[in-house]
Amino acid sequence: MTPRDIPNIPGAGPNGRHRKKDGKGKAEGKEASRFYGASLPGVREDELSGTLIVIEGTDGSGRSTQISLLTEWLESEGFAVQTTGLRRSSLVADDIDALLAENSVTRTTLALMYSTDFFDQLERRILPALRSGLIVIADRYIYTLIARSAVRGIGRDYLHGIYEMALRPDLTFWLNVRPEVAFDREFKKSHTISYWESGRDMSLSNDLFQSFIRYQSLIKKEFEYLSRRHSFIELDGETSVPNVNRELRKQIGAHLGIKGTHYQPSGALAHLWR
Amino acid sequence: MHETKAIEIPAVAERPAEKARAPKHDYPGALVVVEGIDGSGKSTQLYLLKRWLEINGYRTHFTEWNSSPLVKSATRRGKQRRLLTPVTFSLLHAADFADRCERQILPLLHGGYLVLADRYIYTAFARDFARGCPPHWLRNLYRFAPIPDITFYFRAPLDVAVNRIMAGRPKLKYYEAGMDLGISLDRTESFRIFQERILNYYDQMMEPDKFVLMDGTVPVNRLQKQMREILGERIDLTKFAPKKST
Repeated sequence: MTPRDIPNIPGAGPNGRHRKKDGKGKAEGKEASRFYGASLPGVREDELSGTLIVIEGTDGSGRSTQISLLTEWLESEGFAVQTTGLRRSSLVADDIDALLAENSVTRTTLALMYSTDFFDQLERRILPALRSGLIVIADRYIYTLIARSAVRGIGRDYLHGIYEMALRPDLTFWLNVRPEVAFDREFKKSHTISYWESGRDMSLSNDLFQSFIRYQSLIKKEFEYLSRRHSFIELDGETSVPNVNRELRKQIGAHLGIKGTHYQPSGALAHLWR
Repeated sequence: MHETKAIEIPAVAERPAEKARAPKHDYPGALVVVEGIDGSGKSTQLYLLKRWLEINGYRTHFTEWNSSPLVKSATRRGKQRRLLTPVTFSLLHAADFADRCERQILPLLHGGYLVLADRYIYTAFARDFARGCPPHWLRNLYRFAPIPDITFYFRAPLDVAVNRIMAGRPKLKYYEAGMDLGISLDRTESFRIFQERILNYYDQMMEPDKFVLMDGTVPVNRLQKQMREILGERIDLTKFAPKKST
């Protein structure tokens, strides 16, 4: 283990020394930082040669389908892919499951447990992959976490402050679907709607459908704001799987310099191609 | 381009957004905290203060860091398997503190209690800064916590504090000694350097965060007398006194 650089002691006091969230105030005077604000302790940006692609969208927007297809396409093009998603850390994923089941957890604690889960994966999964030059595809990212907490009344600047040490993705896609469409797709798939995806903790409505629609509408509004702030590439998630996938390949292909983005899924994934 | 301004979008949900950090809370209760490095004598002094208040029938409640069962398992697992980085270490402790704050400290302050806390957010600021987290990030992280009415800062010279700890403990724990920071392969040496960094940062916070400095080398009973006097000067204790039935 190498010793970490311990910075000098700036910013003791009530508000610390506040730095703008765009990472420009960096002492080294680099141009655009790969982090939103302060860098993660012990991380050198210049060794991150891989590419981080984020797919955002509500349940039922087709994220996981698209990620399976993109992974196959990229691998066939010779790129190594690492996927990641929320609540998958070895550190706290189980604890979050337990907290969600218990339903006595407060919103701030839950938000911070999710952020622990996120940074555990960022530091021990995403960054190592990027150091090795992999393509990392994230099934949701900090934006979902920020939106969920923001609709529950936690300050947006507080949330952005926590995630300022998150890595700025190279590309962020938002698969946008109307709540009604998301409801139909989710119900068709699992014949039920999850407690948290319908925001039942927020007492929006006793009717499950109403609660789901209202909650997802609130989330969608947050995403519209986040989309502007963080320059998402917004895609119509209601069109066919091949259509959405073609658009994703076009954008990703352009970013990675892949010439010709023709793709036909293998037999194993053909059932997704509808 | 990335926006640099603070967010001015109207609230989407009609729910109270988190208020900006106020200089002082306006709850009917009062919050008294002790801070300082291990071995500075703070816990002994807070215990004596608590006993004094309890014996005299004051409405008081004692709370200490790391007592929420909710995230204990994660912390334990992370420590055992050495999975924690400075950032996840910090976030996990913040999650734990948030739980204690929202379910214990805030309701008690609302309910008009004199709340005594053994360690508070300044512990996190000093320790996590010493582990390499940016100070402004830490300040933001704990913005939901009310500012104490009194922060007693117990300060003992590094040698005195370290010797007190070493005398009472057979072996220093891995994270406690800051071994994950790679300061030194020798646990005692690592602990010493780590504690020194924490001590320095406490010293830096003293003025801006309005700590009341307590000399940890003063005999216990004399220090306790000082502490009770300061408490009485700064806080109207009659608010918490037992109602006399006459």
